Amino acid sequence: MSADPILVEIVEGYLTSVEKEVETAIGRTSRSPMIRDAHDYRAGIHDRRLRKLTGRSYSALVNPVVRDYPIETMRPGDVFFHNDVYLSEGGIGHLPDLCVTAPVFHDGEVVAFVQAFGHHDDIGGTVPGSMPSRATSVFEEGLMVPPIKLWDQGVPNEAALKIMTRNSRMPESLAADLDAECAACLMGARRLAELFQRYGRADVEACFDAILDKTTETFRREILAKIPAGTYVWEDYAEHDGVDEPKLHTQRITLTKLDDRLVIDFNGTGPQAKGPINHAGDYADGAFLKKWLAPILRNLADSPERMAELEVNEGVVPLIELRFPPPGTLLTPVFPAPTNARTFVILRLLGVLAGVLAKAVDGRMPADQETIRYTGVYGDDLDGRPYLMREVLGGGSGGRYYADGEDTIHVVPDSRNLPTEFSESRFPFVVERLGLALDSGGPGRYRGGLGYEKHVRMLRDAHFMSIADRSILACWGVAGGRAGLPFSVTIDPGGPGERDVDALADAEPVRAGEVIRIRTTGGGGWGDPLDRPVDEVLRDVRWRKVSAEGARADYGVVLRPGSVDDPAADEAATASLRASLRAARTGDEPFFDRGPGYARLAGGATSAAVDHR
Amino acid sequence: MPLIRIGIDTGGTFTDVVAVDEETGRQASTKTPSTPTDPAEGFMTGVRKILALLDARGQDVAAVVHGTTVATNRLLEGKVGDLGFVTTEGYAHVLEIARQSVPDGYGNSYFWVKPPRIVPADLVRTVGGRLAYDGSELRPFDADEAVAAARFFRDRGITTIGVCFLHSYANPEHELRMRDVLAREHPDAVVSISAEVLREYREYERSVTTLVDAAVKPSIARYVGAIAARLAEIAADVPFYVMKSNGGVLSADEVARQPISTVLSGPAAGALGAAVVAEAAGFGSVLTLDGGGTSTDVAVVVDGHPALTTEGSVGAYPSKIPMIDVVTVGAGGGSVAWLSPEGTLKVGPRSAGADPGPLCYGSGGAEPTVTDAHLLLGRIPPHLLGGEIPLDVTAARDGIAALAASLGLSAERCAEGILEISAWNQANALRQVTVTRGLDVRDFHLVSFGGSGSLLACRLVDVLGLAGVLVPPDPGNLSAYGLLTVDVRNDYVRTAVARHAVLDPGAVAKTFDDLTAEASAALEREGFPEPARRFVRTADLRYFGQAYEVRVDVPDGPVTAALADTVAAAFHAAHRRLYGYDFAGDARQEVEWVNLRVTGVGPIARPALRTAPPGTGATPRTTRRVDFGAGWADAPIYDRAALGAGDTVTGPAVVEEFGSTVPVHPGFRAVVDDHANLLITREVVA
Repeated sequence: MSADPILVEIVEGYLTSVEKEVETAIGRTSRSPMIRDAHDYRAGIHDRRLRKLTGRSYSALVNPVVRDYPIETMRPGDVFFHNDVYLSEGGIGHLPDLCVTAPVFHDGEVVAFVQAFGHHDDIGGTVPGSMPSRATSVFEEGLMVPPIKLWDQGVPNEAALKIMTRNSRMPESLAADLDAECAACLMGARRLAELFQRYGRADVEACFDAILDKTTETFRREILAKIPAGTYVWEDYAEHDGVDEPKLHTQRITLTKLDDRLVIDFNGTGPQAKGPINHAGDYADGAFLKKWLAPILRNLADSPERMAELEVNEGVVPLIELRFPPPGTLLTPVFPAPTNARTFVILRLLGVLAGVLAKAVDGRMPADQETIRYTGVYGDDLDGRPYLMREVLGGGSGGRYYADGEDTIHVVPDSRNLPTEFSESRFPFVVERLGLALDSGGPGRYRGGLGYEKHVRMLRDAHFMSIADRSILACWGVAGGRAGLPFSVTIDPGGPGERDVDALADAEPVRAGEVIRIRTTGGGGWGDPLDRPVDEVLRDVRWRKVSAEGARADYGVVLRPGSVDDPAADEAATASLRASLRAARTGDEPFFDRGPGYARLAGGATSAAVDHR
Repeated sequence: MPLIRIGIDTGGTFTDVVAVDEETGRQASTKTPSTPTDPAEGFMTGVRKILALLDARGQDVAAVVHGTTVATNRLLEGKVGDLGFVTTEGYAHVLEIARQSVPDGYGNSYFWVKPPRIVPADLVRTVGGRLAYDGSELRPFDADEAVAAARFFRDRGITTIGVCFLHSYANPEHELRMRDVLAREHPDAVVSISAEVLREYREYERSVTTLVDAAVKPSIARYVGAIAARLAEIAADVPFYVMKSNGGVLSADEVARQPISTVLSGPAAGALGAAVVAEAAGFGSVLTLDGGGTSTDVAVVVDGHPALTTEGSVGAYPSKIPMIDVVTVGAGGGSVAWLSPEGTLKVGPRSAGADPGPLCYGSGGAEPTVTDAHLLLGRIPPHLLGGEIPLDVTAARDGIAALAASLGLSAERCAEGILEISAWNQANALRQVTVTRGLDVRDFHLVSFGGSGSLLACRLVDVLGLAGVLVPPDPGNLSAYGLLTVDVRNDYVRTAVARHAVLDPGAVAKTFDDLTAEASAALEREGFPEPARRFVRTADLRYFGQAYEVRVDVPDGPVTAALADTVAAAFHAAHRRLYGYDFAGDARQEVEWVNLRVTGVGPIARPALRTAPPGTGATPRTTRRVDFGAGWADAPIYDRAALGAGDTVTGPAVVEEFGSTVPVHPGFRAVVDDHANLLITREVVA
């Protein structure tokens, strides 16, 4: 039946509201800092055909639950649980993501599902936090739970809860987080059941179809239409896996635009890593990865405002075909390959898609960003009590064809940094500087956003830890734009003990009085920096985002002697420097700039074959 | 003796005025168009109009209380360009960094464009000197750099400056010295320092709050000064109060000391008025819904008090100033109905506002709106404000019929759909405000007011399963009425982090005494004698390691270890209520005190609520063809003014009054209570 256009709008608003209510309830009642403070959790609503109906963000899949517990065997009051990466059909990336699924019943039949997952602080394994950066097998990463019936017709499975809490270093909060997720999903399921009661199953399901069709049509009309027919290839890399020496861990996409769909072919992706950066993607026709990658396609819409309006639900799935390489690659790892740091691969994959699209659409895509890494210090505080300070510091986003990149942002919505006035009251250090890393934004007509420069002076001896990629390779610039500066950590800069720290550090000793200087990645630049208007370069100098030397070397803008508060360009010298910089070009520069670190891992090559258009 | 108190609420379209004669209890209300170019003009028109209604003179006025959002918001626009900011060395980019969060959806970080910072980076100066979180000095204040900063702004003609140094909530010394330097080097500058605006930790939020305070200080002072001067036209020295966003009022003389607290005062008055009306009607806890032309504001009232938040924002800028927690949705009478590119019907958030307005206003509006849909279905009369402004039914019908044709619907079904979508938009907002607090919407009555607030009341009862809806008399003027119910109220806060186990009650007592002294001094300036001053102490506590706090009351009496334990116990209980668990019995989870707060209250006599004469049985004035969703039928039309206590209107029916209409759908009944409220409930099926 065709849907009532008024009811479609009501149902769509209702689903959005229920999803938000479920997330609000989880945020309010769960206990893990990763869920409460870092907002690392998501809810999703799926129909009985396992299609995701809501679209503010990605979520896990219902497929593995239905695979093991056929829909017709489900009963009201059942709640399902899983976190097993290899038995999740690709919906779960690492074991700390605890996933709860509640079926919705109408007239005795399952009509929909409410699902949520949250990043719990500990599910066992070799290290606190269950993210061992040097793991070589999933058995080191914690307890694996394949889909199970955690609640059976309203009765919790005590045995399962006992086993799970016994395997966590934080048993009470694990139990509390599970309670919070179950209660929230059941509340969401009741709300959905009310929708079916009010409007009847046939009408509601017709609306579900209409909502998904709408997304398909919108993406076809506003997104796919922008991509010229043809085949485009690009690749990017993770630089280390925690086990092997740094090297290029290749992720490659061959993008083919057909009349009715996009084919994203991952063949050419590098072999499975020994360390934990693998992502198990080759399941359920890649249903998870399709919805994970599709938000990047929104950058092809007509304006940033329109990009923000587009929702990614199951309606994008018919437009995308994924092709995977044979088992044994970064995206098709073979059990029990470790996966806890798979963000190195799946976040990079967003950039690979952005890059291959840039080749297809004459560069009208954002340059690269890298906005997740963990840094922290731990030891004993001034009262002798143990502490662990771990935070996610964002980075600069890439320049866009309509705007500079933004400084110090984080890809996870609403995730916040730690105020100095909070952390100094809690931990034994002084944050001497929380600023922007000068010149870190990739030069371009539209400059990349800047990364952080954070100086932490320890008041007691401590250990520093870091889990970060992009410390050798940089965020790439495109269409003439240049790469940003990579991630770096230096202890005691300018002092007698000055030393650089590796981006994968578990326990670097720091002495009381020493400063830890952390610089995070700048975004890549977009377009030719020599085309950047001189006024904008001068403004960046005034804003302490670009140095006088950077203005000259990166932008060809020569400043007259004087204060950075009132910079003025020497117009003649600028024109002549810009002319000579242009003249020095060969005309065969690659479309992408990966920065100087690439040569170190690529045997001296300054660009990859795929970097040319 | 002057005994008339006047409340004036300046909205975007209309200025609402309510007055009460405290001697006779007589009330009057009126409306006049707002005058955005010179708000004082509409303000004075309103004052004169209400005095004429009461047959009173300027000398009879005991107080004028003013609330507005629109006027002050407009002051913010374009005014922040001349701002300078002074902060601690190493933190020059604190505004650029903000909290690193990107709004809304996953992947938005690729295309999000940060809104402009409140101060551009080149107008930020840093000064050496550093405090620790307990207020102790790590490095001394660098007076030379302070002088350099002051001269920098002076030389550039920057005359509005905010100052926020790290940990100044614990020790304002460095900020006070900075202010002295500015006073000496740059005497023309208007300065706000964070220790006086908001003594609470979190440097980014405190910085922005301080800067908003500085930014609005000159213009708010001018705005309030201009109105005060005009008030002198009716009588000398009329006491003039301005509404604050925290639900209190402030005398005009005090506004310059805390301008930011008055910026978002409009929605607060409505929620307060609704709380007063609801409590008198026997409902301590209610939801409130204020339906206007462009948007609808909803809030929660618990035990007579509107819920407050310190997570609000002023325009695009976060503000930690306590404000009544109002959620605004773009669903008002002027919300435009339109077709999405995918062919579905959408309502709002865009609004036709008052200009050009809905099609039926006949003043150039080209798109159908929610008001047009109501009119088409006969649910509102074909005129506004008791007949002052006729409405064009044909224009409304033609516009909706065109939209309906592209959807394959009749005009009536399309209008019905517009209203249904609008009701669901409001319902979803009401759910959000309750779910966030762990409340169940079905436990609540709704108080609906504002010009368009009650039009969908019956639908909201049905959609949300509400217990009922209370429509106060004269609902279009409830915000202005709320202004008359408001006490003088000032908030003072200081962050003083200490673990409960090693808490020094003497230090806590000292801080409370300091804050109380500040509050008392402000009340004294407002003319409240000592016995009349009331003080409410609260504290924000958290579990050690958490990054968020829960606010609990601190009982009166000397601060002792026993009293501190009482507060900690209250914290455990409040934490359980809010989050579903606590650590009361868990010795590993320490309690930490974070912020101490004192609110100084200067009570103002509330006007007696009006009482309704006993009803003599509801008699319709006329009938009209109305479509309540099941086709056209004659429905009785009642004059609200003619209804008395105990009168009952059974749907389908429409109750009309000046400035507002209440459609009573089939299956619902509306009963007039002793205070002339309409209480709408579902009819119990026998």
